[in-house]
This record gives sequence, structure tokens and C-alpha cells, in this order.
Amino acid sequence: MKIFQVALGILAAIGGFVDIGDLVFNVSAGATFGYQLLWVVVIGVVGIIVYSEMCGRVAAVSGKAVFDAVRERLGFRTGLVALLSAQVVNLMTLTAEIGGVAICLQLLSGLPYRWLILIAGIVLAVVVWVTSFDWIERIFGYGGLCLLVFAVAAAKLHPVWSAVGHGFVPHMQTQSPLLYAYFAIGLLGAAMTPYEVYFYSSGGVEERWSPKDLGLNKANAIIGYGLGGFLSFSLMIVGGSLFLDKGIEPEFLGSIALGAEVPLGQIGLLLALVGILFAVSGAAIDTLFSGAYSLAQFLGWEWGRYRAQTGAPRFTLTWGVLLVLALGAVMTGVDPVMLTEYAVIFSAVALPLTYIPILLVANDRSYMREYANGRLANVLGLIYLAVIVVISLSAVPLLILTNVGQN
Amino acid sequence: MRRGLALCLAAAALAGCNGGTVDKHALKRDAEKVGSLATEGELLANDMSKGASTKYFARMHAKELSRAASNLADALAERPISPGIEAHVHKLSRLAAKVSSQLEQLHLHPTNRAIAKAMRQPLSADADAADRLSK
Repeated sequence: MKIFQVALGILAAIGGFVDIGDLVFNVSAGATFGYQLLWVVVIGVVGIIVYSEMCGRVAAVSGKAVFDAVRERLGFRTGLVALLSAQVVNLMTLTAEIGGVAICLQLLSGLPYRWLILIAGIVLAVVVWVTSFDWIERIFGYGGLCLLVFAVAAAKLHPVWSAVGHGFVPHMQTQSPLLYAYFAIGLLGAAMTPYEVYFYSSGGVEERWSPKDLGLNKANAIIGYGLGGFLSFSLMIVGGSLFLDKGIEPEFLGSIALGAEVPLGQIGLLLALVGILFAVSGAAIDTLFSGAYSLAQFLGWEWGRYRAQTGAPRFTLTWGVLLVLALGAVMTGVDPVMLTEYAVIFSAVALPLTYIPILLVANDRSYMREYANGRLANVLGLIYLAVIVVISLSAVPLLILTNVGQN
Repeated sequence: MRRGLALCLAAAALAGCNGGTVDKHALKRDAEKVGSLATEGELLANDMSKGASTKYFARMHAKELSRAASNLADALAERPISPGIEAHVHKLSRLAAKVSSQLEQLHLHPTNRAIAKAMRQPLSADADAADRLSK
């Protein structure tokens, strides 16, 4: 059924919107500012839909993914800077997600953390090795939908719905404007993290999209990221309804799961943990593939899961090496949640290097023929480019001024 | 490119700095953190007392909270303190250690509803005490 063909969009969104850092970040935003930042999530969702649709269209029409465009449009040097920054952030994020998978398994099983890191790495490697791209999308994309338990939890906590509605109107009622700005920038940066579009566009090529799939591309972008945004809303509402008045500052993955346990009991807890497990695993796969896609596309190697491992040996080796590096990093005991916060902020700095080429290529009629950007896509694209530049310039100063959001 | 990398590294180092002297602002923030841990522990204890949690989740999450409180207690005991607030900082350090040991009970007895029920009120009281210290 065609409705199931939106699994790519769902997996990209799950990996981008509800990875380990976003889970904690969204709930923290609610626990700190109530519902005041809901409007920021809307801005982020629209932005990633606009650019993902462009990426998917480029993939469908030209058969090329984002990093092909980066190399061709920016030239080797600038493209190399974009590649290196993307790989550093990818590796940080992959490390954090593997740590997150291990934490989630520990909360479910009680087994020692370090053993679970190894188990997580091995299972991810086996799944990526033996499973087709289609089934990876379905398993992790649809498994992550267990996170919809947070929507139920949010409703069960009986928020003041008029206050929730007011949260969709831009406003700021706080004595900590810098902290508010930090969260706003972090939420926007997390919504538009480059690895989402690298994964999405490469996934479009993996799925052999052609111009007849442009409708499917739009559906994937809108439904997938719309769902990701809905999950973000739910998490923020849980944070605002349960944690804000009690003065709780959620720092741990367990704190997030508590947000489902308190209103829904054991079943809520288990669904939340299973959903988090699939979402964070999905994010690990997104970033693992994004890293391998980016390098292979930039250097002109064969790439893709639709080829057998022997058909794309350097691509296969790349994701293998990335996985081993990330496992080694997690074993050092680094805090996965804090690491992904840094990753989001640093990836925000390099956002223009990803999104400018996309906009250029999507307008290039020699690439795109009659499928180049229309007026609406260009207007939205330029507006969001301005937003991206603001995010890029302010991310690091806010990181410093707020002491990584600790105020 | 080298300048950019240096800037990013400096940013990471500066942002990560959280040591140094405990002043009034740091005392307030740390008191809020202790209160947060105690209140979260109370929520967890409440669920445990009703059988609304699972054994492994309760055990592991209580341990995480306990460890965080213990780390705070140690940090408050070891860091230099601004003049005039020494008594408050020592009091907060002892409170954080108390919260840690209460959470440790939840960690050690994840299926014991009676212990979980018994921990609710002390954790709530500790959260109130932390709240008073934060003001």
C-alpha cells in the first residue's frame, strides 16, 4: 500500500526529531519554559519539510544526493570543509546515539552499561549488514512510532490547553532571555540537522525515485517530518505539564520515560522505552549512513544499501569504520546526552554549507529541467536560509553565554 | 579553517567550565538541582509504591539520580566558597548526600513497595529544604 511508502520520511524524521538529544531537549524546553517554545518547533518543521522536499526532488530528477550537489556547486575546498564538519558532527551524534541505545537497553534489562554498548554496536552492525534498506526504514521508522505514547501521556496530564495554544504564538515571558534563545536555536538546529537531509536524499536514490515519485517525495517530507514535529510537541507538553511546576530539570533518558510512566503506569513506561529504543537506534542508523553517504558521494565512490556489500565496498568499509570509532568513543564513558547537545550546536554552525547548495541545485534548470523550484519553494527557501544564517551565527555564543543551557 | 577550529575548541572548553568558586548564583542553581533530583525521586518512589514501574527501570533510574546527587554533594564539599555563604553550601552538600542515600534505597530495593512508600515523604521534605536554600 502506498501509505507505507512514507517509511523513509518517518525514519528520517524519527532519527532527526527524536534522537537522544532531542528527546531530552524537547522535554527540558517544556520543563523550563512551559509551552512557550512550541511555535519554534513549527518553524523548524516547516523548514525541514521545505528543504527535504527539495532534496528529494533533486534525488528523484537527477539521481544525485545532497553531497554530490555540494561537491559540484561549492568546489572541492569548500565542499571539503562541509564534509569534514559533517563527519565530525555525524561521529559525535553516532557516538551519542549508540550510548543512548545502551542506556535504553539498561533501563529495560538492568544489565551492565558497557556490555550493552557492545551488544548495541553488534546488533546495529548485523541489522545494517543483513537487512535491506526498505526493511530498515520499516522496522525503525514504525517501531519509533511507539513514541506516540507521549501524545497520550500529554493528554492524560491535562495541560491547560489554552496555554498550549498560546505556545504556538511567538512570545517570550521569562527572566532568562538568553536561555530562551539557546533553547530556540537548539530546537531549530535540531530540527534542521544536516544528517537528516543527507539521509533523506540518499534514501530517495536508494529507493530509485524518479520524477513520477515527486508526489511520494512530498508525502514523505510532509507526513514524516510532520509526525516528527507532533512528537516534539508531545514531549514539550509532557515537560511543561509534569516537570515545570515541580521544578524538575530532566537530564536523563530515564527522566523522559518517567514522563510516560507517571500518567500511564507500567504500560506507558514500556511503550516509551521501546519507542525510545527504536527512535535512538533509527537515529544511529541515520547518522551512520549519512556519514558513509557523504564521504562516498563527495569522493565519487559507489554507494548505497541497494547494492550488495561487494558492489560498494568502500561505502561498506566507511560505515564499518564509523561504527567502530563511535563504539570506542562511547566506551570512554562520555555522557551521550551532553555529547549530542554539543553536536546539535556545532552542526548549527555549518548549516549554511549544507542548505545553500541544495537551494542552488534545486533552482538549476540544467539539473532539474521543468522540476526546478517554483516561486513558493524559492520564497520559503530564502526565508529559511536567513533563519539558518541566524542559527549559525548565534549557536556558539549562546552555548557559551548560557553554559550549555545550564544558565 | 584553523582559526575556526580553534574557536570551536575554545567554545567547547569555555562552555564546559562548571567548576570554580561556589557563589550565590551557583548555590541557587545547585540547590535547584538537588531539589529537582529529590522531586524526581519522589515521583519515581510514588510510582514504585503503586507497582506502576518496572524492576529494572526503577533500579537503574534511581541509581542515576542517586549518583547525580552524590556527585553534587562531593562537588559542593570540595569547591572553594564565596565568603558569607559557607554555612548554606555545607548544608546543601549534606542535603545532597542525604537525597543520594535515599535514592540509593530505591535502587537497592526496586520491588519493595513499602520502602518506596516510606521514601516519598523524606524526598518531598528534602525537595522543600532545597527550595528554601535556593531562595
